[in-house]
Amino acid sequence: MSELLVVENLEKYFPVTRGLIFQKEIAQVKAVDGVNFTLNAGETLGVVGESGCGKSTMARCIARLLEPTGGKIIFEGRDITHLGYKEMRPIRRDMMMVFQDPYASLNARKRVGSIVAEPLDVHQIGTDADRKRRVQELLEIVGLNPEHYNRFPHEFSGGQRQRIGIARALSINPKLIICDEPVSALDVSVQAQILNLLKDLQRDFDLTYIFIAHDLNVVRHVSDRVMVMYLGKPVETGSRAELYAAPKHPYSGALLSAVPIADPKLGRARKQIVLEGDVPSPINPPSACRFHPRCPRFVDGKCNVDEPMLTRVAGETDHEFACHFPLERWPMGDDELRHEGAFAREAAPAAALD
Amino acid sequence: MIQFLIRRTFWALFLFVAATMVTYLIFFVIPADPAKLAAGKAQTPAIVNHIRMMLHLNLPIYQQYWLFIWNLVRHGSFGYSFVNGLPVRSLLADEIPVTASIVFGGVICYLAIAIPTGIISALRPRSIMDRMGMIFVLFGISAPSVWVGLMLLYLVGFRLGWTPINGYCSMSANHLPGGCGGLWQWAYHLILPWITLAVGSAALYTRLIRANVMETMSEDYVRTARAKGASFARVLFQHVLRNSMLQVVTILGMDLGLLLGGVVFIEIVFSLPGLGAQILTANNTLDLPVIVGITLFACVSVITFNFLVDVLYAWLDPRIRLG
Amino acid sequence: MPLLEVQDLQTRFKTDDGVVKAVSGVSFELDRGKTLGVVGESGSGKSVTFLTVMGLLDPRHAEMTGSVRFDGQEILGLSTARLRDIRGKRIGMIFQDPMTSLNPVKRIGWQLEEAVLIHNDVPRSEARRRALEVLEEVEIPKAGTRIDDYAHQFSGGMRQRVMIAMALINQPEVLIADEPTTALDVTTQAQILRLMKKLQDEYGMAIVMITHDLGVVAEVADDVIVMYGGRIVESSKVDDLFVKPEMPYTWGLLGSLPRVDVDVERLEQIPGQPPSLLRPPQGCAFNPRCAYTFDRCREELPELRPAEGKTDHFFRCHLDEGDRARIWAEKQAAMAASAESAA
Repeated sequence: MSELLVVENLEKYFPVTRGLIFQKEIAQVKAVDGVNFTLNAGETLGVVGESGCGKSTMARCIARLLEPTGGKIIFEGRDITHLGYKEMRPIRRDMMMVFQDPYASLNARKRVGSIVAEPLDVHQIGTDADRKRRVQELLEIVGLNPEHYNRFPHEFSGGQRQRIGIARALSINPKLIICDEPVSALDVSVQAQILNLLKDLQRDFDLTYIFIAHDLNVVRHVSDRVMVMYLGKPVETGSRAELYAAPKHPYSGALLSAVPIADPKLGRARKQIVLEGDVPSPINPPSACRFHPRCPRFVDGKCNVDEPMLTRVAGETDHEFACHFPLERWPMGDDELRHEGAFAREAAPAAALD
Repeated sequence: MIQFLIRRTFWALFLFVAATMVTYLIFFVIPADPAKLAAGKAQTPAIVNHIRMMLHLNLPIYQQYWLFIWNLVRHGSFGYSFVNGLPVRSLLADEIPVTASIVFGGVICYLAIAIPTGIISALRPRSIMDRMGMIFVLFGISAPSVWVGLMLLYLVGFRLGWTPINGYCSMSANHLPGGCGGLWQWAYHLILPWITLAVGSAALYTRLIRANVMETMSEDYVRTARAKGASFARVLFQHVLRNSMLQVVTILGMDLGLLLGGVVFIEIVFSLPGLGAQILTANNTLDLPVIVGITLFACVSVITFNFLVDVLYAWLDPRIRLG
Repeated sequence: MPLLEVQDLQTRFKTDDGVVKAVSGVSFELDRGKTLGVVGESGSGKSVTFLTVMGLLDPRHAEMTGSVRFDGQEILGLSTARLRDIRGKRIGMIFQDPMTSLNPVKRIGWQLEEAVLIHNDVPRSEARRRALEVLEEVEIPKAGTRIDDYAHQFSGGMRQRVMIAMALINQPEVLIADEPTTALDVTTQAQILRLMKKLQDEYGMAIVMITHDLGVVAEVADDVIVMYGGRIVESSKVDDLFVKPEMPYTWGLLGSLPRVDVDVERLEQIPGQPPSLLRPPQGCAFNPRCAYTFDRCREELPELRPAEGKTDHFFRCHLDEGDRARIWAEKQAAMAASAESAA
């Protein structure tokens, strides 16, 4: 399995300026602060996290829509971190993005055929006739009627527009597709169509995905490996099976236990770790372990002083976490709770139903 | 907020200095010779030269500029008119109140029309009221103020004799024989000018208010207010108007700034001795100090009102104030 | 007697393109202290139903018929003044996006006080005291200082707490929550749901939880109604809905959900998209997308009928019991097989 993408210590800091006449930098928003991962061809990496965790910024850095302020991005063996516009051009043929908002990511004034053909246009692939044929082929592949080539985006539903976005991404046969919350804005019944489509396309066209979402259910379904991010840093990465079966980092545990389960009995029986407070601002992240103010297993003097490094989980292939006091078992035991702030919800008394 | 104010003030001052420089430069580029014009008919080269020296026109432009700034800062003087030797400052002192009377009175008139019309149109879109309002708007925007003024002057002032057809009366009582003064006379002479000003601008503001109110009515927080059980009046006054007026205030401020520089058409049509009439005359005679004086006043007016609008907006919108 | 009783509610909007039948005959009951989950996607009519109940629609554009009885009193068609007495006082409502649902130029303290002053003839100081009290109840830290802040100075979760505070400040008997957590992060969602449950226990109020998320419904609801195309297509107690759903749309919804606790190879997908309410399909609204449709479905709208052997589980489908039971059993087996192969 070849390494398609290697990301080393990726950093993206945005300056915060202040000043009367001349702007001076007084702080930085550390949107992405040290991300490492390796992505093999044909894999799907799911990136999950809440607002402010930096996952979208990271995606844009990888796609070089932003220039990282630190670290390296190595795509197919080539360091693309600081490449200029011209040099990036040929590489962009292999890296495409699908965005969240199916209403905003398509130009409302262009016909669908033109939208899907645009990457072909930009990279000057094929003649006009070739492009038209390719577009119709693509529309069919994503499940749309190729005769609708000349329609406008507003004539399609949300799910169909997302398919158009996917067709556009596929048009130049990329190797990597970065999906930034592609199903968040869609109805539930349509979501499944798009997820199935993405999986099918991956198999048919040998694609590699980075799949960003805040919905753990969705991430579980599509990913081979999952990375959990918090305030710009990955706190845990692992294979899907390992991470969902036994998360080690308390934040992963909290995320997992917070997701409502579509099964009332299971949901009631489950212990939920409910965190206190909100996600802090990335301008002034907490010292050492960024999660310590909200962590149910916080130990004063350690967690707020020493920053935890990524540690491998013994006995597992690919599972890493950054925590001094990882979860010992899953579901989390009562004895593991230390910090008064967070608490676990007790299982409700079994309802006399069945 | 303080930072914001300081930055805005610096910027305003900078703009003012830039305005003075540009004004001075423009007149340096004009090919005509004010000295000749000032000399009048009985001019000989000697007289013209003498005048030129007196008026410092023989000095390089930057020295003239420097003299001007010095006079302004040190003595508060704008110089003296080339045409009649009067201090520009006193001309301004006489004319500013006239223009200001027209402008402020007119603004009040058109807001008095635009606000209710705009709100009612917004609350009852596509009703008869709304459509009539929009026709009025179209007329107001299309009809040139000169034409409106002249029509009113002819029909109301001349034919019907309901209002005077020219002249300005100061607000303070005037006991000179043949003069007019006092609040009533002042207003009486300004009614037609006010209406003329109002017709053009009311249209614009009605449309603006209508659009803003309609947009605000559909905002989520209006729905929340209604879900709380708020009465229609409360929703309108406490939630809708407060938010939709923000934009109106901004544009109003800018408009005021511009208008105070001189409502030329109205002043000419109604023979009101304001800044607009004065600058027209000054341009024809190349009376540089007067031109510069009025231009500067206009600049100050625009800069000041823009500044005030910025400050007001920041104060009204907490997202900017505390952002 | 149920606290809220809706019978055959219909709401039609007159638009330039024609009549939009947003709600076409919805009936349900809400009991004191209980939580009703209302599940549906876009175009299901779930939000419009409750906007109608609250009287928030403009009668010039919306034609509303049917019956809405609150505490025994008919409120549909009630005068605006009388409705306003109930709105915000006995029935509270919160909406999806807390950023745009709060007035950006007024302090939140003022907005909370307004909620009190509209319905109670008390001095402002009393309203403020109550506002502080309720902010503390929704667990806003440093409520004393934050009461004078503006909406944009709060995070998303905090704003939603403020919205909840505003809806509860007059201790209503019913809280209608229209997708209150959809715009929030998952951990924040957990906090808000927990908070709502706590407040429900404390005040003894009934909650209507409108959502598209079946997981949320499973977590908070006692009873559930599933809406599609402006009608209720299934209603039951919450556990029952997930154990034995009775009609194809519900099967499709459940099957198309990716799960955090089990792996499946392929999600069940419902083809097509939610129906247009301008030109709804003939017969059963779901028939164009249904895998089990037959002629009768295209001609005749199925009535709501009770499930076999149950008194409080209703559904709308022409398929008979035998077929439905068989299909559901097949689906469950397929899901189990899919889970195994994925594991």
